[in-house]
Amino acid sequence: MAEILADTFPGEAHVSHAHHPELSFFRKYIWSEDHKTIALQYLFTSLFFLLVGGSLAMGVRFQLAFPGAPVPLIGTLLPSWLVTSAGAFQPGGYNGLVTMHATVMVFLVIMPLLIGVFGNFLIPLKIGAPDMAFPFFNALSYWLFLLSGIVLLSSFFVPAGFPASGWTSYAPLSSHAQYNGTQAGQSCWCVGLFLNGLASIAGAANYITTIINMRAPGMKMFRLPLPVWALFITAILLLLAVPVLSAAAAMLFCDLNFGTSFFSASNYGQPLLWQHLFWFFGHPEVYIMILPAMGLVSEILAVNARKPIFGYKAMVFAMVSIAGLGFIVWGHHMFVSGMNILLSATFSFSTMVIAVPSAIKTFNWMGTVWGGSIRYTTAMCFALAFVSMFVIGGLSGIYMAATPVDLFIHHTYFIVAHIHYVLFGGSLFGVFGAIYFWFPKMFGRMMNETWGKIHFALAFIFFNCTFFPMHNLGLNGMMRRIADPMLYDHLQSSQPINVFCSVSAFALGLSTIPFLVNFFYSIFKGPKAPNNPWRSTTLEWTVPSPPGHGNFETTPTVYHGPYEYSVPGMEEDYLPQNQPAPETARLAAH
Amino acid sequence: MLAALFLALGASAYGAPRTSGLWWMPDVASKSGEQIDQLTYFIYYLTGGVFILTQVVYIYFLIRYRARRGVRATYLHGDNRLELVWTAIPTAIFIGLWGYSNHMWWDVIHTESPKDTMEIAVMAYQFGFSFQYPGATGKLGRSDVKLISADNMFGNDPTDPATKEDFQSGVLELAIDKPVRIRLNSRDVIHGFYIPQFRIYQDAVPGRTIDWVWFIPTKIGSYQLACSQLCGSGHYNMKAQIEVVSQAEFDKWYKEKVAAAAGASSGNPPAQMK
Repeated sequence: MAEILADTFPGEAHVSHAHHPELSFFRKYIWSEDHKTIALQYLFTSLFFLLVGGSLAMGVRFQLAFPGAPVPLIGTLLPSWLVTSAGAFQPGGYNGLVTMHATVMVFLVIMPLLIGVFGNFLIPLKIGAPDMAFPFFNALSYWLFLLSGIVLLSSFFVPAGFPASGWTSYAPLSSHAQYNGTQAGQSCWCVGLFLNGLASIAGAANYITTIINMRAPGMKMFRLPLPVWALFITAILLLLAVPVLSAAAAMLFCDLNFGTSFFSASNYGQPLLWQHLFWFFGHPEVYIMILPAMGLVSEILAVNARKPIFGYKAMVFAMVSIAGLGFIVWGHHMFVSGMNILLSATFSFSTMVIAVPSAIKTFNWMGTVWGGSIRYTTAMCFALAFVSMFVIGGLSGIYMAATPVDLFIHHTYFIVAHIHYVLFGGSLFGVFGAIYFWFPKMFGRMMNETWGKIHFALAFIFFNCTFFPMHNLGLNGMMRRIADPMLYDHLQSSQPINVFCSVSAFALGLSTIPFLVNFFYSIFKGPKAPNNPWRSTTLEWTVPSPPGHGNFETTPTVYHGPYEYSVPGMEEDYLPQNQPAPETARLAAH
Repeated sequence: MLAALFLALGASAYGAPRTSGLWWMPDVASKSGEQIDQLTYFIYYLTGGVFILTQVVYIYFLIRYRARRGVRATYLHGDNRLELVWTAIPTAIFIGLWGYSNHMWWDVIHTESPKDTMEIAVMAYQFGFSFQYPGATGKLGRSDVKLISADNMFGNDPTDPATKEDFQSGVLELAIDKPVRIRLNSRDVIHGFYIPQFRIYQDAVPGRTIDWVWFIPTKIGSYQLACSQLCGSGHYNMKAQIEVVSQAEFDKWYKEKVAAAAGASSGNPPAQMK
């Protein structure tokens, strides 16, 4: 590690290059300690998990549209804990689908895509470092993540199958085998999340150390590109929040298997303790899953609008305040949990306040496109859609923040709509945009723009068709996590909406096909990418695509902030961070 | 143009007549529910206005500032006055909204219920609900979660004579305009007490009694009490019937039940009913 830190000092550039002999296949692709390879390992693994989580969602939507109908094609092949002998989903198996869909998407898709892929790939390249501070821990982090995914998914094969107490795993349902009936699956859930937590902690410690210690000369904190800021703040959140979940998962495992009673109603246990621990992690987790996307999107917007980001410092301060306030809003998941109702009033206040920085960010994004010269690349389309979808997700959050309205819509499809607008329309659209944007740097080839646009149009349309009507289902009082809405008098009239949502969801699932084909085809057959295809200013675009081991031939020096686009007095409309401004350029002090 | 799609979607969804019940909230049937609906509509118009305003401006920007040959983007890093404006205005709106909503929270949950409130014990279990009504004295007997057992599913305290008169029901029978307070317990895992028409939700937590939920039914009719907290393999069908009837009809039902319970308790402990 010492020699890597030494690389960051100017003048001693890249002694490490000389010391690297040709790596064996195993060290190059399997146990690689190169941050770029690890990022790609994360990328392929979490795209695989995206297909798994998406398939589970298809199962959920099939059941809700056609309760009791046999699953086409594969119905009779599925295990008996999941389907009846006729091949239709069992209610308990449906609970397993819901639980695993959410758990997979949160812990094996969104987090690793944002943090594992883009954190690993971008942080060293954007700050001018040859690699992460702790390459060994970085590799360890990936393998722990993969192991956590294997453990979680192995619950498909254990007796009684998937854990079925929701991704929130509220005790004492989750902590007593006689209540949940899925002891083995629930144990897999605990172990999987524990391992996943270790992977996150290792990664987060690495990111923080790298960003603090390994910035290139001249890369002051307020010259960091916004994705790096976002990932830095996210890493701090991870480091403070994830250990709480790991501890809670370990306690739950003990309750479930060794007869302890942390969360049971008897023996001095306390069921609400689980909810407090889970949401103390869970709410920062929500921001862990959106802040990096905000950072990535901010950069895509600035590059493609050919404008400096509007209010760079306001953006940073907004993220810092989201992170700080994020730790005192967890109770808004528990307004009606039986927690003291005075506390509900308090948490309602902090929740209203945390909406302010999100509003600030939205206005700054709009300020960024104002007066721009907008290039509608696929990446830009996803980034622009992110802003609109995030606005919808943010505004629907206000309903829940108002405690009396929460009395009505708590645990209904309104919250399902809300969370998907933030995590799919928000985070996942951000991820798609970022993949289209950084693909040339990752693989040295360009993705096909036409197919990218087709993917975007289909995803955008069917995303909204799937999730917008869920607001209405929620307002009609449709509860979450029920296998058959037709059993309730007040829900029968809204069943056509369920069918519409499901058909749209199937189309949304199919819309990933153009993306996947484009992605894999372009890796091998896409046109070769130049170093800087988008004419960007940040450091990763100053090196070859893909960058070699050690990233930079010589350690770059940084002269100004990350978003100097359309500077007056320059012929080019962008000024890379590692180039001193020409004398004619009239840079603004800000 | 992108957002126009869901604007249209939203408009068609919200434009449909409410009476159909297909697209919108079920008709409200409780007093606090009427208040809550006012707040819901207030937030609906507020967020709807903000949404339309921001999206119209945004889409205008996206068309107006598309890349054109020979036109360079404006070089601008931000504007601190604007930052101040769009920090201060949302802050004021959000804090104001909190004041409004919190005032109502106090009103619907935290205030004392009227003198003539009837208290009903609700026991949630995997997978159903059971109800216990006060006997002739009109006062529900004491109960304690520690006393809950297979023979004593409500945890009735045998030292309180009032428990002898209490009777149990599998249906939640309510009189119109008569305030009801719920004494909510769970025997096993966390369940939800959810009546969408009453705009009421409260979790039932094993090991504790939740007694702050009260409401006044305002419409005669049949409703369903639904469990809205995932509670196991039978969760999807965990519900109970609610009948809101006229005071006279309720009194008739109540007298019959009290008489039956008195007859039973002279010889046997209160029968377990589902």
